[in-house]
Amino acid sequence: MLQIRDASVTFPASDGSAVHALDHVSLDIAPDSIVVAVGASGCGKSTLLNAIAGFLPLTAGSITLDGEEIDRPGGDRGVVFQKDTLLPWASVVDNVALGLKFAGVSKTARRERARELLDLVGLADFADKPPYELSGGMRQRVGLARALATDPKILLMDEPFGALDSLTRETMQQLLASVWARTGKQVLFITHSIEEALTLGTTVVVMSPRPGRIVARFEASFVREFAETGDIGPILSDPRFIELREEIRALIHRPAGKGTLQ
Amino acid sequence: MTLAADPRTVFTHVQPAPKPRRQPANPTSRSVPSGTLLISTITLLALLALWFAATQLGWASPLFLPSPAEVLTQFQAVAVDGYADGTLLQHTLSSLGRILVALGVGVVLGVPIGLLMGLNRWVRGTLSVPIGLYWGLPPLAYLPLLIIWLGIGESSKIVLLSLSTFAPICFSAQAGVRSVPAERVNAALSLGATRLQLFTNIILPSALPEILTGLRIAVAAGLSCLVAAELIAARSGLGYMIMSAANFLSTDVVFVGLILIAALAFLFATGMRWLERKLVPWKGKI
Repeated sequence: MLQIRDASVTFPASDGSAVHALDHVSLDIAPDSIVVAVGASGCGKSTLLNAIAGFLPLTAGSITLDGEEIDRPGGDRGVVFQKDTLLPWASVVDNVALGLKFAGVSKTARRERARELLDLVGLADFADKPPYELSGGMRQRVGLARALATDPKILLMDEPFGALDSLTRETMQQLLASVWARTGKQVLFITHSIEEALTLGTTVVVMSPRPGRIVARFEASFVREFAETGDIGPILSDPRFIELREEIRALIHRPAGKGTLQ
Repeated sequence: MTLAADPRTVFTHVQPAPKPRRQPANPTSRSVPSGTLLISTITLLALLALWFAATQLGWASPLFLPSPAEVLTQFQAVAVDGYADGTLLQHTLSSLGRILVALGVGVVLGVPIGLLMGLNRWVRGTLSVPIGLYWGLPPLAYLPLLIIWLGIGESSKIVLLSLSTFAPICFSAQAGVRSVPAERVNAALSLGATRLQLFTNIILPSALPEILTGLRIAVAAGLSCLVAAELIAARSGLGYMIMSAANFLSTDVVFVGLILIAALAFLFATGMRWLERKLVPWKGKI
């Protein structure tokens, strides 16, 4: 169970004023749930993820994972980045095994585990290739396998499919849904796509910028159906889906009177 | 379309595997020469022909431009009988030895110090000033000082050359550390890397391409310093041989020396390319 209590992150801006990237955000991520944070650029969703990952210190508030305070990066939180962070000098299987190597697992054991995970993400045949011979979507799958290899308590995914073409992105969403259904990992997923948020989230939190805070929270269950059928078509045309989508859209594109869209 | 929860079925259909890049297949890529080897060879032959013609047709006096045949004869003579107190092989080995020692010193000192400078603000702040100051000087400007301090023997030349190879290697190692992508470091930390693991598994290999670039620059800087130092103060080496020959207007021996230095430079450049292919095959691919 990940608990975020009154988390605030403040940066100094170039003109000397303070930027409230995250303003008193509280959020629980329960086991077996996918929490998706959606919002426009600058709403603090990536700041939230970086703080949970331990890359960024909180100015105020606290984040605990199973009761333990988070203050630095660690292997109990697996991160999947938007940018490719695979090591070009290591083969795909050794990239997946990297976290196990850090943990001191023997070479044969960690490669065996890495191959299982590559099988899970459908890349068993590419284990011995260097990562730069893989397509963008395949590299993200390797990134997912790498994050899963150390069996972290929570997966943090920072717009992982944002740079992919729409067809590959759909495939990756299917993969994540089915991997989640099989492993039951708790996931925090960041996106700027409302449809992606609703397709994948068991909980969708809508964030708004300046100051970055959570403005609404929705429960959804489309991901269970998605994981089962692997078919996104019926979900996208589900009336409840459309209704929620429009509601969130209205929240994100708030009237200019609020001063958020300038 | 209904896909099972097993993700394997999900992907195998949707994404066709891209062809591995390094396939020796594709005959067209082989038959169409993509390199410049042939063009370069023709250029080299044309230059030789021009040289031959210039001397045959008397465009220039043999004193200024000896014929290829004369140079070849002189090459044999110097190789067998020697010139300026040494055979060609001895002069070459003497030069080669100096530059290899200097490169060794440059790598052994430059890489760790440069890495430290990249990792630590204090080391960087302290060392970048003195290294930057002397690296800005033309090495031949402080060679007289080194001769005053260390005498005219090997040590002054070795120190001069080592100084000229140390700085580029050191600065490139520093730049290599500084250029490691922050996401790569964060990824390793979130996979549970300790500081030592981060250094050996991420930072060092990430900095390797830059270090090799620095080594390339060091080879070029070292070669030019080597010959210049030998011209001024040496009793052996290709530069010394050229200077001695020039004093007696033996232009043909000067040519022998120049050709050998060019061959050395070419050998080093080829060696560096081989090293880069061997050590950083991923360079430029990400």
